[in-house]
Amino acid sequence: MVNRLISITEGDITIDGRSVRQLELTQLRRGIGYVFQQIGLFPHMTIESNIGSVPRLLGWSKSRIRERARELLELVGLDPEGDLRRYPGEFSGGQQQRIGVARAMAADPSIMLMDEPFGAIDPIARERLQNDFLRLHRQVRKTVIFVTHDIDEAIKMGDKIAIMRDGRLIQLATSDQLLASPADEFVASFVGEDRGLKRLRVRMLRDIELDPPSANATPAPQVRDTTSLHYALSRMLTEGVNRLDVIDEEQRHVGSARLQTIMDSIAPASAPKPGESHTAAA
Amino acid sequence: MSLPVHPILAAGGGPVIPNFGGASKCVVENHQFCMSWFLHNFNTVFGPRLVQHIVLTAIAVGVGMVIAFTAAIIAYKENWFETPFSLLAAFLYGIPAIALFELLVQLTGINVFTAEIGLVSYTLLILFRNTLTGLRGVSDATIEAARAMGLSSRQRLIRVEIPIAVPAIMAGIRIAAVTTISLATVAAYIGAGGLGEPIFEAIQTGFKTEFIAAGALAIALAIVVDGLLVLLERLVTPWRRRTLQGA
Repeated sequence: MVNRLISITEGDITIDGRSVRQLELTQLRRGIGYVFQQIGLFPHMTIESNIGSVPRLLGWSKSRIRERARELLELVGLDPEGDLRRYPGEFSGGQQQRIGVARAMAADPSIMLMDEPFGAIDPIARERLQNDFLRLHRQVRKTVIFVTHDIDEAIKMGDKIAIMRDGRLIQLATSDQLLASPADEFVASFVGEDRGLKRLRVRMLRDIELDPPSANATPAPQVRDTTSLHYALSRMLTEGVNRLDVIDEEQRHVGSARLQTIMDSIAPASAPKPGESHTAAA
Repeated sequence: MSLPVHPILAAGGGPVIPNFGGASKCVVENHQFCMSWFLHNFNTVFGPRLVQHIVLTAIAVGVGMVIAFTAAIIAYKENWFETPFSLLAAFLYGIPAIALFELLVQLTGINVFTAEIGLVSYTLLILFRNTLTGLRGVSDATIEAARAMGLSSRQRLIRVEIPIAVPAIMAGIRIAAVTTISLATVAAYIGAGGLGEPIFEAIQTGFKTEFIAAGALAIALAIVVDGLLVLLERLVTPWRRRTLQGA
């Protein structure tokens, strides 16, 4: 609906204050990068031509298109020299979707529409694509609308998550908010019974209140401050400790995380913190 | 008997072979195939007929392609058009060649033009079907991607749908060309020339060499043309050669 592949029957969608119904159709579509599950690369075109599809429509010069194609192949982790003249049929599904992402970004659209982009790709390649795309996204800063049926993918990829059911918006929240306070039963069951554990994934050690470093404490295993709480907890379990020393980028000891600190950080804010007295005593 | 046997006299139910005085023993005795006669008459009899045959076929397939391609594009855009055109093309295809030529002669006379009308009408069904199948075979995903890029329906057709249909279209052209080469021999019946002429002549006279030579040339032409079209197809669809297996 955003790029009007499906027409709007009711309501409206605006981009920078302008309704998509008023924008000229081709104009609108060329300004939105579109990536979808079936990929849809043009089998008869080289990778260069595929990536250059929209730039060609916009009248870019050949050399500029080639330059851009090289740059994008590099960005999505393919060989910018050798792969340029090959055809889509020569690549695996995961590689094809990387090319699909590159093609969608070719004319540098400010909005990307991704409709279950990694849905048909095997779990290992999907994981890699997700991580690569997250890294890519940090570099290119675009508005991405990412549709998925996989809540874990949504939690991993999204800054904000909108939960839709039967065409209605049920909840719009950050992943942390969503896991902490699902709007209703449906959302709660959708995010899963292990939402407490999932929350550990979306928060990092530097997001929680750490104990200040103390000189006379016994040394504990060290972890980076960008480590997820999930990983930190796992470290505690495997190493049989209940405290980790947290270090920053410059290897400075910035504080310590205790098992209790982690538990407190994800406990419901309104409910009384069950471990409070224990914490004080410790 | 050392006297040369006059063909007419020898025709006691047997073959009637024109003897222009210098006929070899092979020709006179009407052996299965007389290479020397064939080579001797290639430039005067077979060469020009072969060229005529090629021109006849090329025009028929060319004109047929223009008509069938246009019809297929219309049918691709407007579904209702498929059935009436298919029926017409199938009807034409179904008429026995001799009957069709006989019928057309009543309308346009004994000439090459009449022959071409007949030959073109035989190419339509194959070319139309293949082109339409090729266009419809473009995957939904490819079309969705093209739409999402803001390609107009005309741009989609020219840049995406037709190029992807090329292998199917080429397959149709190959069948049409080979069929037309074969059918064009019948067109000699209504004065179109080509390799059919020596064949009809040989049927009249019973001269085996002429019959076999013309027939073999028609077969050879069909094989060569088919091969050339395969090469052409590979040339224009480089993307089909290199693919991952099982993708």
